[in-house]
Amino acid sequence: MTVTSLSTDSTAGPSSTSAPRVRVRANRLVLYTVLVAITGLFTGPFGWLVLTGLKTPAELAASPVHWLPDHFQWHNFADAYQLIDFLGYARNSLIIATLYATLVTLSSAWVGFGFARLDAPGKKTLFGILVGSMMLPQLITLLPTYLIFAKLGMVDTYWPWVLWGLAATPYLVFLFRQFFAGLPRELEEAAIVDGCGYTGVFWRIFLPQSWPVLSAGFVIAFTWTWGDYIAPQLLLSTDRSTLAVAVMSTYVNAAGIPVTNLQAAGSVMYVVPILLVFLVAQRGFVAGMATSGLK
Amino acid sequence: MTVDQVSAEIDRSAAQADADRARAAVRPRTSMAARRHRAFYLFTSPWIVGFLLLTIVPMAYALWLSFTTFDGVSPHWRYVGLGNYRELFADSQTWDALGRTGLFAVTSVPLSITAGLGLAVLVNRPLRARGLFRVLLYLPAVVPPVGAGLAFKALFDQNSGAANGVLTLFGFDALGWLNDPYARYVLLMTVLWGAGNIMIISLAGLQDVPRELHEAARIDGASAWRSFRSITVPLLSPVLLFQTVTGVIASVQTIMPLLLSPDGTTQGVTAISQSNYMYMMHVFAEYFALGRYGYASALLWVLFVLILGATGLIFKFTSGVVFYNVDPEAKK
Repeated sequence: MTVTSLSTDSTAGPSSTSAPRVRVRANRLVLYTVLVAITGLFTGPFGWLVLTGLKTPAELAASPVHWLPDHFQWHNFADAYQLIDFLGYARNSLIIATLYATLVTLSSAWVGFGFARLDAPGKKTLFGILVGSMMLPQLITLLPTYLIFAKLGMVDTYWPWVLWGLAATPYLVFLFRQFFAGLPRELEEAAIVDGCGYTGVFWRIFLPQSWPVLSAGFVIAFTWTWGDYIAPQLLLSTDRSTLAVAVMSTYVNAAGIPVTNLQAAGSVMYVVPILLVFLVAQRGFVAGMATSGLK
Repeated sequence: MTVDQVSAEIDRSAAQADADRARAAVRPRTSMAARRHRAFYLFTSPWIVGFLLLTIVPMAYALWLSFTTFDGVSPHWRYVGLGNYRELFADSQTWDALGRTGLFAVTSVPLSITAGLGLAVLVNRPLRARGLFRVLLYLPAVVPPVGAGLAFKALFDQNSGAANGVLTLFGFDALGWLNDPYARYVLLMTVLWGAGNIMIISLAGLQDVPRELHEAARIDGASAWRSFRSITVPLLSPVLLFQTVTGVIASVQTIMPLLLSPDGTTQGVTAISQSNYMYMMHVFAEYFALGRYGYASALLWVLFVLILGATGLIFKFTSGVVFYNVDPEAKK
């Protein structure tokens, strides 16, 4: 954007007397103060979680609150890592999230190509159902799904994530459909005239064009699975479960009371990877999220 | 030629004619259009099959279970018709949980949409470091629920929480934030904390609003607020509608009360504070703590029908105020 900040901020018009100029500067000061305050409120809870993970149990029990730890208990992080099979749970999370994200990104691209570039009777109805199913409450299907998977012997395996991945997901299908629909028609026409099938067009022409969407889709799906709590809690036994479940329920002492400082340290270590993934991939991630507004 | 040979010959030529006719009939279908039809179903089939097997079948299975006393263990379950439904409608816990859920949805959704839109307007201004503000405000939306739950538990802990730290600093008494009646406000704050998601989506919408419209309004003497209300909001209305519908569905399904509870597992669902004991928590309690799969399925189906009804009502009541200026099909 090339518009100067003055002309868009000022509602007083392009008058050049000094009174509006002072008002503009005051406005900007208020604006920045408000923004910094809100940003503080938004980053605060996570900062407090980090601080909690750096305190001793005695400091956490003290009243009134101990704002800063007397000594930063960095070893809490090492203890949190050792108290439970942190690496094992992290590996499980990584396997499930990578498996699901890879499959669902490819299958959603595949289905999205169909909706963007192909035609058949009933397409409109199917697309309506697809968009509508974005609004289906997922928890409602999860409990009966658990019972069905239990019957099929798929509980305590990673098969459910494979199946969910293969089935594509409306949200990403929509994302890919928007992207593919925007590509020029000439891309596929020449290939089709030369006798290339749509499968070939998809793999050799469209997919290589869609790296930005593919990576955004992968990161979004990975983040969902890394953050998911209920499905692994339902479908996996303790040692096969994910970090999300482990952080919530395994940092307890012999009496079954949560060890707050270690739990906080563990959850910081659980959250930070996903924040890093987001920071690295934020451009594509944000573009993906923005598309979900169904413009 | 024998009669047999003749009849065989006739059969053959008839078969030949059939085949020719069939080929003639097929030929137009092997055109580009027919190829595209077949390809369309080939490409969309993973989703179609997946939707049938992983959504429709479980829903149907839950419907069947909702007419039974199935508990997952006992072989002596039986068909009870509408028994579960009669019981749940007579159960005051169901109604209380439903009321809390409804109240939570009608407060959290408008608040988070307003907050998200407000933040979007703020960070859409030409500011220094606005990219940084956007990233930081969006960050909580990426924090997984478990992380958010634990962060808010730490923040609102009775002894070690910063919230009570601030209160006592100003001479107020420390509050038991995670218990009644304050637990509901903590829950609300966890939702508002994730408003960055709505901010990003609204921001994308804001940037699609043609600049000339605002300039024209300014020339006509409209105030900033007036032009926001009469230009920005109507143009954003489809985005806001979608946010409302998905927001209602998400708030009804929130598992945050579970994560904020002292125990924090599905087994300990009954330890959730009364004011955060919402409909989905009631389902979990019946399902996990009591193992009443049939009854829980009935609860789920009632919730599903209610959500469908609520979504329908939202669409109906907003049909007059939502403007679709961009046809998604037009992009082709």
